[in-house]
Amino acid sequence: MSMLYVLIPLAVMLLAVAVWALLWAIKSGQFDDLESHGWSVVLDDDQKPPPEIDDEASDPEAKE
Amino acid sequence: MTEDPRLCFHCGEPVPPSCKLAVEVEGQQQPVCCSGCEAVANLILQSGQSRYYQFRTETAIKPAEEDAGIETSWQRYDERHSLWGSPFKNGRYELLLQVEGIRCAACAWLIRSQLEARPGIDQVQVDVATGFVRINWQPDKLRLSKIAAILAGVGYRPHLPLLGAEATGRQQERRSALKRLGVAGLGMMQVMMYAVALYAGDAMGISEGSERFLQWVSLVVTTPVLFYSGQVFYTSAWRSISNRKVGMDVPVALAISIAFIMSCINFLTGQGHVYFDSVVMFIFFLSLGRYAELVIRHRNLQTGLALARLLPEWAELIRDGEPEQIAATDLRTSDHVRVRAGQTIPADGVVRTGSTEVNEALLTGESRPVGKDVGDNVIAGSINQTQTIEIEVTKDPDESAVSVMGRMLLKSQTHRSRYARLSERYAGWFVAVVLTVASLTALFWLLRDTTMLFPATLAVLVISCPCALSLATPAAIASSSRALLEKGVLLTRGAALEALNGVDTVVFDKTGTLTSGRPAIVDVVINPDRDGFTEQKAINLAALLELDSSHPIAHAFAGFEVDRKQVRQLSNHENGVQGRVDGVHYQLGNAAFTGVNVVEFSSGYGRLWLADEKGWIARFDLDDGLRESAVETITALQARGLELIILSGDHEQALASVAERTGIGQWHAEQSPKMKMDFLQSLQAEGKTVLMVGDGINDAPVLSAANVSMTVSGASELANSTADFIITGKSLIYIENILGMSDKTHAVIRQNLSWALTYNLLAVPFAAAGLIVPWMAALGMSLSSLLVVLNSGRLAKRQRRNDIPIQEGVPVT
Repeated sequence: MSMLYVLIPLAVMLLAVAVWALLWAIKSGQFDDLESHGWSVVLDDDQKPPPEIDDEASDPEAKE
Repeated sequence: MTEDPRLCFHCGEPVPPSCKLAVEVEGQQQPVCCSGCEAVANLILQSGQSRYYQFRTETAIKPAEEDAGIETSWQRYDERHSLWGSPFKNGRYELLLQVEGIRCAACAWLIRSQLEARPGIDQVQVDVATGFVRINWQPDKLRLSKIAAILAGVGYRPHLPLLGAEATGRQQERRSALKRLGVAGLGMMQVMMYAVALYAGDAMGISEGSERFLQWVSLVVTTPVLFYSGQVFYTSAWRSISNRKVGMDVPVALAISIAFIMSCINFLTGQGHVYFDSVVMFIFFLSLGRYAELVIRHRNLQTGLALARLLPEWAELIRDGEPEQIAATDLRTSDHVRVRAGQTIPADGVVRTGSTEVNEALLTGESRPVGKDVGDNVIAGSINQTQTIEIEVTKDPDESAVSVMGRMLLKSQTHRSRYARLSERYAGWFVAVVLTVASLTALFWLLRDTTMLFPATLAVLVISCPCALSLATPAAIASSSRALLEKGVLLTRGAALEALNGVDTVVFDKTGTLTSGRPAIVDVVINPDRDGFTEQKAINLAALLELDSSHPIAHAFAGFEVDRKQVRQLSNHENGVQGRVDGVHYQLGNAAFTGVNVVEFSSGYGRLWLADEKGWIARFDLDDGLRESAVETITALQARGLELIILSGDHEQALASVAERTGIGQWHAEQSPKMKMDFLQSLQAEGKTVLMVGDGINDAPVLSAANVSMTVSGASELANSTADFIITGKSLIYIENILGMSDKTHAVIRQNLSWALTYNLLAVPFAAAGLIVPWMAALGMSLSSLLVVLNSGRLAKRQRRNDIPIQEGVPVT
């Protein structure tokens, strides 16, 4: 039973990590939209880079 | 559903017969209704995002003409740092945009994948429910106007949210509630595990060292949960006490503090039981209920945003003959403003130069443009359609009709929350009873047996927690709102479903609610002097003649299948169409055009005459077509014993025709928004509970003053956000479906409430007698809540819609 004295504190530490991870995830907005991200699994497959519409306008600035 | 065979691939609106535009989708030509839709669809398809079309569950909005120039018009925002959003680290900003046209998860995906692929954009979040898009970006790499252009390019219309701070506050509130819930949940899992060990130890023996250790760990885990997640109950209990009231949270705060403090004392002295498990379990279940409530409440706070969006952000002020761009809110009385064609009028005023047609649809519900000449009044929010005009501002922006309507809206919403306060007072009574019973129990055991004092009192407090009672309604409403959503009905205010049950009067707004807003044939009269013509033949001829017409009237004949080869020499004129069928020259149009000698009066969409060289053959009476299943719905509602009334801004004749066709006996024509409001309030004063079905901004205050409100598709965005139910389908039969759902929900709520009450009444005596220890009380409380939740879940039994062809879209390999 003395193993408990090691395992339980370990579990509590894991809990602390889990709480920290959860708070971080909520803070970074991962729970704000629970619906659309699920779709990206089926939708994203054949995505190509966006077409060059009129990127001349913004590109020079982007390279600076 | 009978639908026009040619619907726009992008926006789902009917394609005008004369329109030949098409886009190529996987080798097939698909029709589009305008060059705007064509451009958007092509961009989406060329970016390899054609899956948007496979997976979307709603059609897109039709791009407006001004969307093309959005980059230019947004360029004046580029240098305004205050509009870049809140500063983030490393020169990044968090921009919040309200985007029009976000309707389903596929939209969110489309926006994200378009924006996130651009340099300068780090992260994009799309909230489908509210239409907010949050963008983490670097203004030095990408201009604001470019972001607007990208959004407009894929068919969405961005707006700067005028109430962005409020929206951010709401998001913060939701996030912190979720954090508290998560911490309580994780903590509960741990403490419950230790508790199982402790209870097993009680039953089968445990070494004292292990027991102390487990208790100690429980204390370590419980403390942060209590102070982090439990904190809200203390603040809320304190608030209600300082207002000299007893809120729901007072016994909660009392129970968790007593349990925690006594457990600490027992742990330190090494005698008696610890109840940390009860503490965390209690906090978790309560947080869960609160979170569910919060999510539902937030959906209702959508109002002012949409209203503000109707007004343009900038106005072109003319000062000493020189134009100058100023913020529309800075306009003052007697300023001169130039409004170009296609722009929205920024303030209430009088036309000073020029004449034009304006669309006041959002304010009056009337979609036909209204002519305005010098000296005529114009209203802020209406759209100038044809010519550039100059207006003199007559009212400060605060006093404009739109703002006043906005205030009316807010007023009627605060009016509504009085019901919420009423139910709180009942909760207060309940809580007072609980506290009394608890103190009586405490007193009894104090005199009898002090060892039982603490467990018995705690058991009473925990077991009588109004948790199941307070979950009974929200849980049922949450399930049925999910079920409704699957049917295509959005519930925006939970309590409406309950209120719907008491409805005895249904008030319809005519334009666009009972009718589809498109002309339809209501009557065909054949000239008795002409032989060989039947109704069918006349309609057939008329349909042939209207084949190439793009006039709105052509809609009335679009549903009839005809053979194009039969007709030759089709031509369109201002007042009619003509062509040659089987060698005979026919004309279709108004009386003057077809040479019919009658006195015309206009009713609805008017009359069309069909004539050949020998005189007139048939007369078509046209009127606004009824919405799909309007008659069935009305019959079903009447069968429910509901009183039906039509209120409309339209004139008598048009309304009488609609009333007659639908079978509604009671109607009032030419009602202004104010009159509608008064009428509604007089109904309510008679003790009636009113369901209002409508659309349009002029209805918005009336919609929110009604006990329950619904809007049907095509309703303007504002009306959407104030109505309790938003029906996205085209058919009116949803009204009947919603009523059926409301009946079921009501039954479930009654079951839930009676269960919760019975449970409390049965369990409290046992708890007071000391027969129930706190952990059993907490378990009983949770089980009773669980039962309530499961019972409510029956409402949301899945009836999957099969209209999303998933197997087609995903390669199996």
